[in-house]
Amino acid sequence: MNLQDIKRFFGNVDYFLLFATFSLCGIGIAAIYSAGVDANGLVVSNEYIKQLLWFFIGIFLLIGASLIDFSRFKDTSWIFFAISVFLLILTLLVGKVVNGSRSWLGFAGLGIQPAEFAKIATVLMLARYLDSSEFDSSFKKLLKTGCILAIPLVLILAQPDFGSALVFFPAAIVMLTLADVDFRYILFGVLSIVGIFIFLSIPLYVQNHPNPILYMLVTQDSILYVVLIFILILSIISSVGWFKFKKPYYYWLSYSLAILAFSIAGATAANKLLKPYQIERLLVFIDPNIDPRGSGWNILQSTTAIGSGGFWGKGFLEGTHSHARYIPQQSTDFIFSIIAEEFGFVGCMVLFALYTIIFVRCFVLMETSKDRFSQFVVGGILGIFAFHFMINIGMAMGIMPVTGIPLYFVSYGGSALWSGLISIGILTGISARRYSA
Amino acid sequence: MIEMTVLQKKITRRIRILRMLIFSLVGVYSVNLFSMQVLRKQLFESEAERISIQSTRIPAPRGEIYDRSGTRLLAGNIEAYSVYITPSELPSAQRKTVVNNLARLLNISTDDIESKLPDPKAYSYGRVVITKNASLAVIAEIATRIDEFPGVSWTSKPLRDYADLGSLSNIVGYVGSITRDEYKLLYNKGYTLEDLTGKAGIELMYEDLLRGQDGWISKAVDVHGKDIAGNAARVQAPVAGKRLILAIDANLQKIAEDALGKRQGSIIVLKPSTGEVLAMVTYPYYDSKVFIADDAGRAYLELLNNTQKPLLNRAYQASYPPASTFKTILTAAILEEEFISLDKTVYCSGEMVYGGRSWSCHVKKPGHGPLALEDALAQSCDIYYWTVGRDYIGVENIVSYAQDFGYGKATNIDLPGENKGLLPTPSWKEETYNEIWTPGDTMNLSIGQGYMLASPLQVANMMAMIVNDGVIYKPHVLKEVRDSGTGALMHEIQPEVLHTSSISAETFEKLRSSLRNVVVNGTPKAAISTKVVQIAGKTGTAEIGLKDRWHSWFASFGPYDAPPKDQVVVVTMIEASNPWEWWAPYAANVIYQAMYAGQTAQEAAETVGVRLEGSLISGRRE
Repeated sequence: MNLQDIKRFFGNVDYFLLFATFSLCGIGIAAIYSAGVDANGLVVSNEYIKQLLWFFIGIFLLIGASLIDFSRFKDTSWIFFAISVFLLILTLLVGKVVNGSRSWLGFAGLGIQPAEFAKIATVLMLARYLDSSEFDSSFKKLLKTGCILAIPLVLILAQPDFGSALVFFPAAIVMLTLADVDFRYILFGVLSIVGIFIFLSIPLYVQNHPNPILYMLVTQDSILYVVLIFILILSIISSVGWFKFKKPYYYWLSYSLAILAFSIAGATAANKLLKPYQIERLLVFIDPNIDPRGSGWNILQSTTAIGSGGFWGKGFLEGTHSHARYIPQQSTDFIFSIIAEEFGFVGCMVLFALYTIIFVRCFVLMETSKDRFSQFVVGGILGIFAFHFMINIGMAMGIMPVTGIPLYFVSYGGSALWSGLISIGILTGISARRYSA
Repeated sequence: MIEMTVLQKKITRRIRILRMLIFSLVGVYSVNLFSMQVLRKQLFESEAERISIQSTRIPAPRGEIYDRSGTRLLAGNIEAYSVYITPSELPSAQRKTVVNNLARLLNISTDDIESKLPDPKAYSYGRVVITKNASLAVIAEIATRIDEFPGVSWTSKPLRDYADLGSLSNIVGYVGSITRDEYKLLYNKGYTLEDLTGKAGIELMYEDLLRGQDGWISKAVDVHGKDIAGNAARVQAPVAGKRLILAIDANLQKIAEDALGKRQGSIIVLKPSTGEVLAMVTYPYYDSKVFIADDAGRAYLELLNNTQKPLLNRAYQASYPPASTFKTILTAAILEEEFISLDKTVYCSGEMVYGGRSWSCHVKKPGHGPLALEDALAQSCDIYYWTVGRDYIGVENIVSYAQDFGYGKATNIDLPGENKGLLPTPSWKEETYNEIWTPGDTMNLSIGQGYMLASPLQVANMMAMIVNDGVIYKPHVLKEVRDSGTGALMHEIQPEVLHTSSISAETFEKLRSSLRNVVVNGTPKAAISTKVVQIAGKTGTAEIGLKDRWHSWFASFGPYDAPPKDQVVVVTMIEASNPWEWWAPYAANVIYQAMYAGQTAQEAAETVGVRLEGSLISGRRE
């Protein structure tokens, strides 16, 4: 790079994006500080200092990531992917168990969560594949994407870290959308996954809400097989109908029946393969209240904190709920509730606005980036950010299941912060280079 | 502007859809937030106030367990005080003095307390259990000087307490701390990590009934955790667990326990007309009390490593070759279908040769001589059953009759960890050993040896079916569920048919008389000497490869002439690990004598003229 290039690079840096990111980090550190203050006003946690430190290191990672021209070296994407897969395997072998998951790699109190970095590496890997596969059929794209995803997914589910594993799907879905994959395929995949979880959770649901018909379904295999065969016959009839009469409703009938059959079969297979406690762990996602004080404690506390914040909020460090220690994982998963309580609706809108800036910049980049590879990378990162936003804030408001997914830039935690900042670095690099030759 | 390709146009449209989705997400969330924080603010504020309450759990007492009489308490509760420290309420400056004072009062070392407290730097809001067994005097001392003990609190908690259970321990079971893995499965039911759960026996099986529902004391507190004056504490009373009345008769259990003595084995007394288990003794047994003591973990390890396996309930969790008691099955088959004419004799010369080896009857040469069915059963002649099993009945019929009597299947007793035994079949042997079933295997099966395994409870069920003309009721230990406060009957366990046989009533009639003949004229004639009750039954002596010792069985029912509802089934099983006394029929004899003469086991033994300590004999008896 000569002086001209450097000048142009800095001239084209997306300062809006950086402003939004750093503001979110700032709000996060303030909220983490607040979360560490107890009811007597004493600072009982030094988490905010650690977060500050990680943030400063993260800035260097951001700059570093922005300086690498990923689209030029896209053929080397597999190296990052391989490294992250290696780290995931290493984690399974020698990782530390935290909260029941073997998800930490490190020593002497320092550690990273390789799953966080695997997200970025997988996005790069997928982008590389989709970039080179313009003429593949939709089906082939879906299949190959599935194969690439499966590697980190299996390793992360084995930890088991269900929340982190989930994030790969929205990233892949956005990227497949950009890759011109037929929507029907994407929809099929999404609905099948949703279906599998619904059917997997029925036994647990029945356990808590006795219902004779559902009970028969889950306890008697024979009935399950009858239902499966019935669905199969129906779908054969409807596909015959489609080929013979070409009426669209036959097509959609067999389409939905296939999804149904896929979901039931997938759930049955998972039920057979996994041990009961493993399923139970996965289903913490659906019935999250591991809290001994009974159902809904986290959500009740979190929604109460948010609602009682009001329009203007109770003021920094004045949140009663947050300091009375009612909410577990205050500084990580439920950081939003402390912001909502202390800064009110206004503060939340500022937070939303900052996130919206990031989303908007991603869209602008997608529309203007000069190469498909960059477009895919931006799409994947956008998918991750948006999904984290949706699940984490939705969970705090009590309208999404509790999955232990952090709010990027705001939640306490070094690995997520770093992977977020690296992602922003990649976006910055792409945007700064988009007009260069 | 360059003209866009079709693909680019399509992608741009898709990006627009994505943008719409994400922006509507942000929009929906904003509206939801507005609704929560502005429109419904009041609601949440009052909620916030309501929730600013400190809740203390009042543990519910666990349901009590009584024996059949309803007066003999087997498992109850005692009040014990637990002392806690809440680290976040303990100022670090005072930490050392508080810990020292507490250690002196509780008579434990300061290191013990320190090791339970979290690192001072790690903030923690939960309370830490210091001890679960403090006395009232200590609590009173702390209460009067509470200013010196910031962060220290206590609760009184009902703790499980067991009577001197003896062999009942293996039925009642025990409770223990919840493990991490159990907790994962139980959290939905509202358990906490401080809870105890049933780990074995009735305590495990009826955990849901025994466990009560914890109550709460809630008081409103301000931001600083202080009581808001004038605000009365709200109390939600705990609901105690249900009281369980067992079918077990503690007196009879004691008789059976004494009759078994210190012999490795088991005894079952079953009421055939209902399936109620009146007594179930296993030896060696454990003591449920060791599980509620402070060093329960060590005691458990010791029990686990004990080579005599006291944790095992040999009456239904172990299976053995049923030996000659199994001849009852072949007899039933012959009586029902006349595979061989009832008066056709088979000549027993003490041994027979088959498959290149010699098979000896338990009576050596010159053997029993010619025997027909009735005498063959009474004398327990192996040669007869080998011959008819192999040449007349065949393995398929034997297996089918044995299945009809419940062998190889679960009895569904209401105790955990049942052993189903093993009923070998030709296809089973092929699958397991990849070997073909030989006539020799049929011969072994005919006398209840070879691969055949049965639990004493299954043998008892066989006898119950004979008494009931072909019906087996599900054996059960629980009799009634009662309210723990009022003692009102809430649920009574009704007899539940486990299996109904298609064998005719005449066959059972004949079988009963044949089994009566066994006791009157057959092998146990000398051993069954009681005069107070007429007994029918069958002995068994299982070869397990030792030269001078055998498993000893006696499966019986009586009084022979009484209607089924007044009869009991007694199965005694003494393992070959004990010195050889042929004790099974003697033990049954003592039990019947004691039961029907209203005596203790000791008195009964004196009446019938045996010593409970037994006396060694040499040589096999059938």
